[in-house]
Amino acid sequence: MSFLNNYIYYIGAFGLILIGLYIILVKRNLIKVIVGLGIVDTGVNLFLISVGYITKGTAPIFSRPGIDSEDMVDPVPQALVLTAIVIGVAVLALALSLAIRLYQHYGTLNLRKIREQKW
Amino acid sequence: MVNPVLLIAVPLGLAFAIPLFALFWKAAVKYIPPAALAFNLVVSLLLLPRVLENSVIVSIGGWQPPFCINLVAGPVGVLFSTIIALVGLLVSVYALDYIKEGATEKYHMLYLLLLTGATGVVLTGDIFNLFVFFEILCISSYSLVAYLREKSGIESAVKYLIQGAVGSSLLLIGIGLLYGLFGTLNMADIAQSIRSVSPISVFVPMVLIVAGLGVEAAIFPLNAWLPDAHSSAPSSISAILSGIAIEVGLYAVARVIFTIFGAQSFLTFLALLGILTLLVGEMCAFCQNNIKRMLAYSSIGQIGLILFALAIATSYGVTGGLFQLLSHTLAKALLFLATGYMIYQTGSMEISALEGMGKKMPLTCLAFTIGAFSLVGLPPFIGFPSKFLVVRAALVTKETIFIIFIGLALLGTVIEAAYFFRVVQVLYFKADMTNPGRKEAPFAALIPMFIFVILIVIVGIYPKLVTDVLNSAASELLSRTEYIKAVLGSIL
Repeated sequence: MSFLNNYIYYIGAFGLILIGLYIILVKRNLIKVIVGLGIVDTGVNLFLISVGYITKGTAPIFSRPGIDSEDMVDPVPQALVLTAIVIGVAVLALALSLAIRLYQHYGTLNLRKIREQKW
Repeated sequence: MVNPVLLIAVPLGLAFAIPLFALFWKAAVKYIPPAALAFNLVVSLLLLPRVLENSVIVSIGGWQPPFCINLVAGPVGVLFSTIIALVGLLVSVYALDYIKEGATEKYHMLYLLLLTGATGVVLTGDIFNLFVFFEILCISSYSLVAYLREKSGIESAVKYLIQGAVGSSLLLIGIGLLYGLFGTLNMADIAQSIRSVSPISVFVPMVLIVAGLGVEAAIFPLNAWLPDAHSSAPSSISAILSGIAIEVGLYAVARVIFTIFGAQSFLTFLALLGILTLLVGEMCAFCQNNIKRMLAYSSIGQIGLILFALAIATSYGVTGGLFQLLSHTLAKALLFLATGYMIYQTGSMEISALEGMGKKMPLTCLAFTIGAFSLVGLPPFIGFPSKFLVVRAALVTKETIFIIFIGLALLGTVIEAAYFFRVVQVLYFKADMTNPGRKEAPFAALIPMFIFVILIVIVGIYPKLVTDVLNSAASELLSRTEYIKAVLGSIL
């Protein structure tokens, strides 16, 4: 049980990443694939946060007396996640706008039916 | 002394100024990218002699390197930023006349952002910063591929976006794992402590990072997006994607393998991947009827050759790889630019539609022919010394596996010659001789093409012009300890 307690965030993060990859590989609808990309992004962000997280840790503010540096959460991964979230939003927005254009051209979002370009 | 930060800050600032500028003077917007890139070219050339002596390390925010984001302007970084600025400048001059349709101010903004991202990737010394610049590069190229809003462009942009997004997620997981292991994001700091953990625990992040970067670098099993994206983008963008974007991906792979991980045992596998990429690319290019797809597949083949040369990992090999990279950038950008106006004239991308173009557009066709000959590796052009160096590097290793590989690479070159000569034959020797009207590409397009031609011929005749820079760039890539000492020297 302590294994689950210690590693629950990592299990959750990689679970989300694998679910997202499964959706991207298997689903035929472009919107669902984009949802899959979003889930992968969330998983990666959760993973980054859990790398620096300490159970019952607090923010690393030195002006407050009485906090041990052992109890502080590493702030760097959180800064990384903020950046990664912004990038993820940009990619998802671009993907959705491309999906709108794709629908205007083909009248469908089924990726199996859109195959003009091939090797 | 010039600060290398300007190489990133000036184009980034100007890129975001473009939409504001377009509000009150739309016609002048297209001159901003050439101006910004000319500035970058001058700064890079000023920095170049300095960094050949020792690398310039810029710490941002006044902190010492492992605690801050730092830029490392070593020979490799400045060599790449010079190439990016040079090719970017020439292509942006070409685009002055070529890009007429659509929201042109968005094109110019995204174009400048793409090159800013590329410059940032090659200059940064922080692995998360590398990821951020990589994303700037990727997102702007996704949207530029779809710029014309045609059926094929949108479809390939969607493919490119999905594969690229999965690739960057893998890259980010790898970076997260590295941070978890070492508690630092500075590349030199990671490289320094990489030996302190067991090799197996570094293997997973390495594979994730190489796979993530490999999508953008178009290494064989990860390159399904490339022929679509490169062939349906506007020709000026194809030139940048083929000439800059995938090379920057390769740079990142080389930096990660050589500097961060120092993974000697991984190199034979990379050489194998390189040869596979080369053969697959050349064979697919051989059976294309669409000229832009043919050029795109030929890029895959060339990337394979560069990867193979880098994976030899001797100083000859890396010098040859960087030289081949330079020659591919110049020749492939020239080919795409020349093809752009040929397609514009004929209205078709089929190779058969180009019959007799040698009479109609003699200068453009001459430029195309020189680019094609250089890519194949014929003597007076830059492709010859670069391929020669790669072959020599493989032979002096005296290892059976590399000699077999270089034999296969030469087989790939024969295939390459076959399909390029076929196009040249169509251009000149299959003409209907009914005195066609001459209709040359406009002046603004011919000038950059002929600057490329002149560079290809001059460096081809006198390769010593660049070999000094390439040699010191190769030694920077190969000597990890020097890199670590240069970055962390002040606190060690």
